[in-house]
Amino acid sequence: MKEPLPFDHRPDPLVGEALRQALEPGDATPFVARVLARAAEVRIASWDAVLARWARPGVAAAVLVALLAGYLVGRATAAPAPRPSVYDALLAPPAHPGEVEIVLASVIGN
Amino acid sequence: MADPQPPQRAARIAQQDEADLVLRAAAGDRSAFGVLVERYAGVARRVARAVLGNPEDADDAAQDAMLSALVKLDQYDPRRPFGPWLLRIVANAATDRRRRRTVRRVEPLDAGLTAGGPRPDTTAERRALGERLRQALAELPERRRVAVVLFDVEGYSHAEIAAVLGIPEGTVRSEVFHARRRLRALLADWKEEA
Repeated sequence: MKEPLPFDHRPDPLVGEALRQALEPGDATPFVARVLARAAEVRIASWDAVLARWARPGVAAAVLVALLAGYLVGRATAAPAPRPSVYDALLAPPAHPGEVEIVLASVIGN
Repeated sequence: MADPQPPQRAARIAQQDEADLVLRAAAGDRSAFGVLVERYAGVARRVARAVLGNPEDADDAAQDAMLSALVKLDQYDPRRPFGPWLLRIVANAATDRRRRRTVRRVEPLDAGLTAGGPRPDTTAERRALGERLRQALAELPERRRVAVVLFDVEGYSHAEIAAVLGIPEGTVRSEVFHARRRLRALLADWKEEA
């Protein structure tokens, strides 16, 4: 028998045929029937199945987003009025000058 | 009589046909999946047997692989040939099973087979040669076994086998060569004895 070439690109019919016989699995009919019977129990991931799989996380994410949005809106509307700066407090004309004078007079008087 | 198809065109038509079958199977058409199973049952079982040795285990692995492929059909790229994609799943399923299975007691071979005893008839001879080949195959590294079966038995190209095994094409060539050298030596011994 000829020694095979190191990188022969053609299939070797002698080895191939001998191996085919050695590995011959026999009649395929029972095997195919068994696979198809099991396949009937397998669910393929269709688009509705994918949607169903994502439904629960989707609802949870929507609830989280709604809560976060509610919190942000609530915080924005309930925010306190901005505090006056030092400049405003000292130099701006008082809204109720009389009252301020009364308070100051009472403090100085004491 | 119609002219025979040029091989490349025939291969392209076969590939389109398979891509169509896969699409239909993925959409839930069980008859299309049945055609694919029938078409690949032989090669899948042989590859699994090359890895596992035991025919029952091999059939279980091939079946698991077919069902796994059915579930993963949406991941198959229809522009590529279906065979190597499926056989990669088969080879992985067989390897996983081999790793998982408990070590079983190996049935000792008939002394007549290992010692080249008397061969009463051709059927017995063929059976004995098959036994020897399986024994020789089992002694090879797993990757080498699958490579030589896919190349010499199933006719896949080096590139396709490289895709199945996830190794470079050059490594496939080397694996096939080493496997052949061993198997050819065994066949030569067998011929001489006969």
